[in-house]
Amino acid sequence: MTRITTGIDQAPALETSLEMPYTLTTGKAVSVFIEQLGHGVIVGSHCDNCDRTVVPAQDYCARCGGDQGATVAVEPTGVVTAITRTADGAVGLIRLDGVDADLLHVIDESAGEVAVGDRVEATFAPEPVGTILTLAGFAPSTSAVSTTAPKEIDEVADEDLAKQIIYSLSLPYRHAYGPNYGRLFDELGSRGGILGSRCPHCQNVLVPPRAYCEICYVKTEQFVEVKDTGRLQAFSVIHMEFIGQTRKPPYVYAEIVLDGASTRLIHNVAGIDMARATEVLDIGTPVRAVWKAESERNGTLDDIDYFEPIPE
Amino acid sequence: MSTSTERVAVVSSALSQLKPAWDTVQHIDLISETVNQALLASGFDIHDVDVVIDCGSDVLDGRSISNCGFLGQMGAHHKEESRVEEDGLFGAMYAVNKILGGGAKVALVIAYSKPSESIVENYYRTIADPFYQRPVGLNKAVAAGLLANQYLTGTDATEEELAEIAARAWTRAAANSKVSDARAYTAREILDSPVVASPLNQLSLSRPVDGAVAIVLTSETIARKLGSTPVWVTGMGSAMESQFLSEREPGRLEACEVAAGMAKRFAGGKEATSYGFAEVSATSAADEAMVVEALGLAARGKAASAYDGDVDINPSGGAIPADPIMATGLVRMHEAANRLSGRVEGSSATSALVHASGGIGMQTHSVFSLEV
Repeated sequence: MTRITTGIDQAPALETSLEMPYTLTTGKAVSVFIEQLGHGVIVGSHCDNCDRTVVPAQDYCARCGGDQGATVAVEPTGVVTAITRTADGAVGLIRLDGVDADLLHVIDESAGEVAVGDRVEATFAPEPVGTILTLAGFAPSTSAVSTTAPKEIDEVADEDLAKQIIYSLSLPYRHAYGPNYGRLFDELGSRGGILGSRCPHCQNVLVPPRAYCEICYVKTEQFVEVKDTGRLQAFSVIHMEFIGQTRKPPYVYAEIVLDGASTRLIHNVAGIDMARATEVLDIGTPVRAVWKAESERNGTLDDIDYFEPIPE
Repeated sequence: MSTSTERVAVVSSALSQLKPAWDTVQHIDLISETVNQALLASGFDIHDVDVVIDCGSDVLDGRSISNCGFLGQMGAHHKEESRVEEDGLFGAMYAVNKILGGGAKVALVIAYSKPSESIVENYYRTIADPFYQRPVGLNKAVAAGLLANQYLTGTDATEEELAEIAARAWTRAAANSKVSDARAYTAREILDSPVVASPLNQLSLSRPVDGAVAIVLTSETIARKLGSTPVWVTGMGSAMESQFLSEREPGRLEACEVAAGMAKRFAGGKEATSYGFAEVSATSAADEAMVVEALGLAARGKAASAYDGDVDINPSGGAIPADPIMATGLVRMHEAANRLSGRVEGSSATSALVHASGGIGMQTHSVFSLEV
């Protein structure tokens, strides 16, 4: 999922992605709208206060903020009020017959170009897909303007409504390392050196290196190499399992002050009997890095497999 | 503000180079360098700063609550720090209120983004509601295309006029040393560039760029003690549209009109047409036209004529050639303050309107009145 890329004309970068799974709770209006699409029916809401019908159905009126009144079935025909074409197809605003607001949806131009003012009618997916896309889009139509008024629908049985939609987002990134992290990872990858930067004001050595000392807010300007040995500042034995975990519990998550550094590095402590971790380890326990085999290193802090206590 | 005895001024600002891709630095490198420049220009030390307000997008940054990771390099260590997940001009609004309320005397406002690190349309897709608008393909280009189509359908404005607006923006950006890789285009070249979301082309939709901007605001008492020319905030306002495009009035930006009206009231009723210049944000040439109209610089559908008027519109080139999402509006404030305080040669204007927008189809709007 995460890798380092570089190229002739590109600075080295970290390629990574955020995978975001969601269970979206629909609420009444959305669930009824989606359920009814499965029957080929488009439903909207009528706000009694504004005397206005909007589609798709809403729980609250966007104008007055009041509860929407009746859920109504509307005609599947209407007129295009706006359209835009992209490489992925056309999207438009459609004013369905008898409705007082536009509906944003896909315009199907497979049978010919559609323009503002053209009549269109709904097309449906062969099978319900559980989202607004059960309504596939709107295609050109020769239909006359329908004068059928939106009609209140019967209450949909609660067990027929999907309360949640399983949904996920995948967001890819290509993060620049920048001069400080870039140098840190270069030194790590090429020779197992750990770099920090020294603040000329407070003289603290900051690991990882950074452009400005956070406390003094002055430029650091000098890289300093620190040792791969240090002392535990804090640690916790992790027994809990969670998404995104890179080690199998139990393991020790620790803050380590490397020799020569003023800041704490977060890493793992292993090479011990985990059942006795809290007896073996203490605040101040000296530790040293255990590096992975050179063939397994990729120039990240993961090149250090873990830290282990230095025998007294 | 007219209701307060104490006023607030922009006393210094700094802007990074606006580049299609700042691939040699991290966000924090870009931010810290820009903040340092703004502080140097102000004469303040970071320890003089009472509050840091930062504006960026977690989705663009690729991490949640990204300010937590960035705050040290923003100069916010052990300070009151607040994140506004909106354009930086909304952050400036927060800062002004903070100072007027007596909670701070010196405020640092930061806005930044590196859209080059991700797929920009993913950011816009995540803004769209996941039930009704996202599945049918709503994103920045589609929203801007629909708004442009509505504008052209509902007014006498023409595609050629929109191309002229874009051409002028690019030509001015080409003369702006802070905007990288910008060149002058003719209206013909704009119209001939690839269609992205009809009627908008690659060159009439705003170009996302990486960049950071930092602005220092202070109370009147402090501003008067500094050597630089204070740029007074004489009015501000903000408003938002419905998230549903279908609930908005076609062909105009009502929320922008409301924000402009609010700023005008605070500014003692000063007419838009009496300002020296305007720095406005837009995600497309049609959006810029609608902003110009919403601010009161032109009648509906007549934005093109405003570019020949007394109020210079976007002397910097505006947002079409350089749109550092989340920072675009605060960049406008930087450009305006630079000109008003005499830091730009040949600029003698004494007042400016500044505008920011955010969201899909320019859902949010903020307007500032600045005077010297």
